[in-house]
Amino acid sequence: MYIVVVGAGATGLYVASLLAREKQEIVVIEQDEEAAEQVRRTLDVGVVVGNAAIPRVLWEAEVQRADLLVAVTGTDEVNMITCFMAKELGAKKTIARVRNPEYSGYLLVGGKSPYATRKVVRPRSLGVDLFVNPEIEAAREIVSILSGLYVTPMEEFADGRVQLREFKAESAAVVGKRLADIPFPRPCVVVMLEHGEEMIVPSGDEKVQKGDRLYLVAARKDMDQLGAIFEVPRRSPRTVVVFGGGTIGFHVAEALEKRGVQVKLIEKSAARSQEISSKLKRAVVIQGGRPDRDLLEDEGVAHSDAFVAATGDESLNILAGLVAKDVGVSRNIVVVDEPEYIALAEAVGVDVAMSPLLICGSRIAHYILHGGAVSVALLGKEDAQVIEFLAGANARVSKHAIGELEWPKGAIIGAIVRGDAVMAPTDATTIEPGDTVIVAALLDEIPNVERLFKAP
Amino acid sequence: MSIRIVLKYLGLVLAIVGALLSFPLFWSVAIAHDGAHFSFIIPIVIALPGGLALFRLISQKERSISRREGLALVTCAWLAGSLVGALPYVISGTLPSYVDAFFETMSGFTTTGATVLTSIGHQPPSILLWRNFSQWIGGMGIITFFVALFPMLGIGAARLFEAEMPGPQPERLRARVADTARALWLLYVGFSLVEFLLLWAVAGMPFYDAMNIMFGTMPTGGFLHLSESLGAYVDNPFVTTVVTVFMLAAGVNFALYFYAIRRRRLGTLVGNPEFRLYVGIFAVSAGAVTLDLVRRAGMSVGEALQHATFQVASIQTTTGFATADFDLWPSLSRGLLVVLMVIGASAGSTGGGLKVVRLLVVFKYAFRQVVAAFSPRSVMPMKIGGETVAEQTVSAIAGLALLYALALVGGFLFMSALGLDAVTAFSAVAATVGNVGPGLGAVGPVQHYAFIPGVGKIALSFLMLVGRLEFVTVMALVSWSFWRWR
Repeated sequence: MYIVVVGAGATGLYVASLLAREKQEIVVIEQDEEAAEQVRRTLDVGVVVGNAAIPRVLWEAEVQRADLLVAVTGTDEVNMITCFMAKELGAKKTIARVRNPEYSGYLLVGGKSPYATRKVVRPRSLGVDLFVNPEIEAAREIVSILSGLYVTPMEEFADGRVQLREFKAESAAVVGKRLADIPFPRPCVVVMLEHGEEMIVPSGDEKVQKGDRLYLVAARKDMDQLGAIFEVPRRSPRTVVVFGGGTIGFHVAEALEKRGVQVKLIEKSAARSQEISSKLKRAVVIQGGRPDRDLLEDEGVAHSDAFVAATGDESLNILAGLVAKDVGVSRNIVVVDEPEYIALAEAVGVDVAMSPLLICGSRIAHYILHGGAVSVALLGKEDAQVIEFLAGANARVSKHAIGELEWPKGAIIGAIVRGDAVMAPTDATTIEPGDTVIVAALLDEIPNVERLFKAP
Repeated sequence: MSIRIVLKYLGLVLAIVGALLSFPLFWSVAIAHDGAHFSFIIPIVIALPGGLALFRLISQKERSISRREGLALVTCAWLAGSLVGALPYVISGTLPSYVDAFFETMSGFTTTGATVLTSIGHQPPSILLWRNFSQWIGGMGIITFFVALFPMLGIGAARLFEAEMPGPQPERLRARVADTARALWLLYVGFSLVEFLLLWAVAGMPFYDAMNIMFGTMPTGGFLHLSESLGAYVDNPFVTTVVTVFMLAAGVNFALYFYAIRRRRLGTLVGNPEFRLYVGIFAVSAGAVTLDLVRRAGMSVGEALQHATFQVASIQTTTGFATADFDLWPSLSRGLLVVLMVIGASAGSTGGGLKVVRLLVVFKYAFRQVVAAFSPRSVMPMKIGGETVAEQTVSAIAGLALLYALALVGGFLFMSALGLDAVTAFSAVAATVGNVGPGLGAVGPVQHYAFIPGVGKIALSFLMLVGRLEFVTVMALVSWSFWRWR
């Protein structure tokens, strides 16, 4: 695939490096000479220097033969115009990062569902196939983590019938046991086990160690019960403190207050505090900069159910999360930019660290669909993916029992969905045409898995 | 810096060198029947399984090669390749001294073409084939070949590629470095095939001769299997013309060919400022030498023109072929040839020397200082062909030119200390740093480097490598802070 990435900021660099690892052919367009040089030094991709909103520059990047253009410069308008022109020049698909929710239509509308959105601008008429808004998506994910029973992140497949959830091995029910010996209350498949830096497709003999991350695939209705053996279900929070009133912080506060949660928002800038507090209805806005004990204790943070640190400064967020933990908040969620810091932050005591970049990356990965794949999620530090395939009538896998297939070593089937039934696969299970198959695979094995879902 | 990762990939490069040795082995066994096959079997047996074992046994968590490792790997690959490539000369008895054999191999891989063989022609054909083939491999680069074959290194590939490619800023023709390396090798093989076919099928040369001349021309090498260089074909104007044209073609930036073909516009090539200056230098020098030969050496105009164009092309592109003993020419011609050795060919070509584009920048740089003396407030960005060159690049080029001059002076003093006369010492250094081959005086086109003492040969081999890899790659390894902060 030939992919053009516009803008070499943090997101652009991350997307380009992610795709370069998948051995795609990539060209990055960047206006700033120095940033362009940085790309040239760190990534095996082509670089074009110039303003991408100019057709000549797009032409130089050979956008006419691009399978995908991803516009992630700092300016919404530039991203949209670039996509529009790339489409005109012949790019097959375009993705634009649009931060301003007024454009993107990712408005969080009141009501129970966090997914309710209202379209403001029709992306198609602008030549944009997909708007991504990492900040708003991060806010949505924070809200969904807070409102669920468990603190861990989750992805959905097969129209929500199947869930993928990440659990940390900490309870006595799992630590020190072989996978086959863990008494899972409902059928499920552990598709990946992340041990330190290493991502493995576990066999039943794999021993679970404390701190390992287990990726579970199961039917949605079973997931809550399954989670119970990893951690105690928590009631959804009634009071939440949000630190940082930027896009993420504001949207989290807004969505939470609409669900009847008491929100206290701490923001450094006086002007921004004013602005937020006039937009929010019931949430309390507090002006304060540093996350010191005095401030947190004065504001009664110790008695809140959850703490969300979402300023623009990732190191400050991690620090704030730790201080909150120290004063006695039981759940903390921290936003970091650099995906590499997620593991570090969680190692020092942060419950959940999340990166808008990673979310943006997986949205784009959804779009570079593999073979007959429908949906994709990234696992860990993008070493593995979970992919949803639709088994065609001619696919190699169809009408075969799983045991008969030459299944690649670094891949595993998590679930098979036939009609409304979700099945945990065994060697004897046969894949029928029309089945939805959820597969987890290490990055290197993805081409081998794709082959199985194509006609021989 | 991890020595393990350097050793691991060094193993792979060694295995490639071992595999390439099978070509002369095939020639020896299947075609020439010259009995030299053991000279190749032994190094193959050492390099191929040894290299693969090194690669397989050293396990390294998948990560890219760092900048330091890249520099170390490129330099070590060239050294190790030459150490292994020298074995056939020693085993076959062609060059009993290992230092001599190392010099000869380094001279081949770096496309210098400076020889220590006192007479040529009676050696086994397969040995001479290896001697010529080694320069063809070195022409586009061992590492570039490696990167094209194994596209697994990610950004590490770019670091290796940039450490080997000649020129101030190697361009990525394609988005991925592995694709770039492949495109360059494809162009190189294409040019080689065309030249070979012209010599073999059109000029009716024997297969072996045509192949070997091509192996000497395209990498701008200069080794030949004939005792008097190209003197045997001096009466065949078609052959000398073909060789002249292909030497000149090999001295042009290959990126320009790529873009000209891709965009189907000759203007990309012809309009390039470096290309224009390169052609200009050639035309002016060839004209001056022709006049000099007619006036001072009493040649006819036709003869003078043929010798002058061939010799100027040969020296300017740093090939080093000779149709005449230019050491006997008038002093203006000889002086001009030495200057051309220092200037060299274009960036991104297979030729050596300082490179034309650097000369251009250094001249403008010097001129800018002159203007600054009477008009200190004038803003003078460095412009080449209408495009501004970044100040960082300018200072890198100026620094490299300075290093080049220092190498010439240092080498000259060292060679003088070994007892060489001034003309021989300076031209020997200029001809090795510039990867030309023959110099003047005792190392002239009909002479050889055999008489130079062992220390001198090692020093000259080092200069060849430094010249081929353009200083910084090798110099980094001998700098204190490279190791202090590894």
